[in-house]
Amino acid sequence: MHIMEGFLPIEHAVGWTVAAAPFVAYGTWSIKKRVATHPEQRILLGVAAAFSFVLSALKLPSLTGSCSHPTGTGLGGLLFGPAAMAPIGAVVLLFQALLLAHGGLTTLGANVFSMAIVGPIVAYAVFCSARRVNAAMAVAVFLAAALGDLATYVTTAAQLAWAFPDASGGFSASFVKFSGVFALTQIPLAISEGLLTVLIFNALTRFNPDELRALHPSDNAKVRP
Amino acid sequence: MLVDRYAYSNRWRAASPEAKATFAAGGFIAAFGAGRPSAALTVAVVMALVTIGGARVPLTVWLRVAVAPLGFLLVGMLSLVFSVDAVGDGALSLRWLPDGWEPVFRLGTRSIAALSALLFLALTTPLLDIVALLRRLRVPATLLDLMVLCYRTLFVLTDAAQAMRTAQAARLGYATARGTFNSLGLLLANLTVQVWERSRAMQRAAQSRNGDGAWRFLEHDGAMPHRELALALSGAVLLVAYAFGNP
Repeated sequence: MHIMEGFLPIEHAVGWTVAAAPFVAYGTWSIKKRVATHPEQRILLGVAAAFSFVLSALKLPSLTGSCSHPTGTGLGGLLFGPAAMAPIGAVVLLFQALLLAHGGLTTLGANVFSMAIVGPIVAYAVFCSARRVNAAMAVAVFLAAALGDLATYVTTAAQLAWAFPDASGGFSASFVKFSGVFALTQIPLAISEGLLTVLIFNALTRFNPDELRALHPSDNAKVRP
Repeated sequence: MLVDRYAYSNRWRAASPEAKATFAAGGFIAAFGAGRPSAALTVAVVMALVTIGGARVPLTVWLRVAVAPLGFLLVGMLSLVFSVDAVGDGALSLRWLPDGWEPVFRLGTRSIAALSALLFLALTTPLLDIVALLRRLRVPATLLDLMVLCYRTLFVLTDAAQAMRTAQAARLGYATARGTFNSLGLLLANLTVQVWERSRAMQRAAQSRNGDGAWRFLEHDGAMPHRELALALSGAVLLVAYAFGNP
């Protein structure tokens, strides 16, 4: 869920930008380090950014009839790690603002925080814990992508609720309001995204087991072609 | 991509990105500075007029690009129009327009003004010019590399995705809901595998040409266009002064 240009008051827009900056800076540093040892990853990450941009242009059918697009935050978090996803997501969101007028420059920080920081971190954490309790690969991937997607949308709802507290009910009432607006579309969407991510992972394990292993040092032993 | 096409073909394509970014920044500051809805709306109209009249972006294009974000804005404003409150056990009270129309209008016009400023920048400045500007502003090279690669590959991947979609649709891949899901899964899986394939091919191409990491591109150089910059700056200052004069 992108927050549109100019929607957040100035204090919130600046605040979220300041909050997102250290993550993006750390991610940039981590990519720089990674590229120094694996030069081929430089192009890979750039192409991956283009891939997430293209993902957002694909319409995804949702069970309630409305259409939305996959966010790819979960997939990216699993494939490239949550640290690298912050700068990649920032680039993608900047491009979406400048090429599609989707999202915005003043709300870039808030959008980066929900989609490129919280989403991938949650997805990665869910994946690791699911694997630790020996869940099947498909189950772990599904849970990671679906919950990463949901976490993104809950964060956006919280950001909006914080910026626009309800006149009588305050933050919590406003949060219910904003989640209510999105819940209808977002919960089925999270499920679709989870299922699609499983399909993508299946294709990857079939066609690129080596790359998958190279990307994921933490999960080496567990990814089997 | 509509925005990209006009970014390259508008009348101010060759104007320095610094000048265009300065004017857009003025628009953003004015959008947030203008308190009165009428003032914010004026800022929006001025930015749109400059885009349409100055850079010669057709009005229909401007509207087509703006219509999607404006739809989002309407949905977003809905939540300000009514107020929900929990009363007692599980019961909810709904109130229409808790604070009247004023905050709704304020938010709406501010968003439209900021959107208008964003569209000015997006419709007049190609992305690679913005990347060049960011390079001069000392943004880390790692990030700029990501942007350049992303921009170069984006159209290739879009093309591939569209070709696959057409092929699937021709085989009735999107005829049923179940089929749609299946087709999309296949398409995405295929596209994901291509990320590796294409990046490997690009890596080899770069290496065979002695690629040593950074990709360098010729940038528009020459002296700083002081006249353009002065014009943009005075326009921005006027807008900001107007906005803050109407709190």
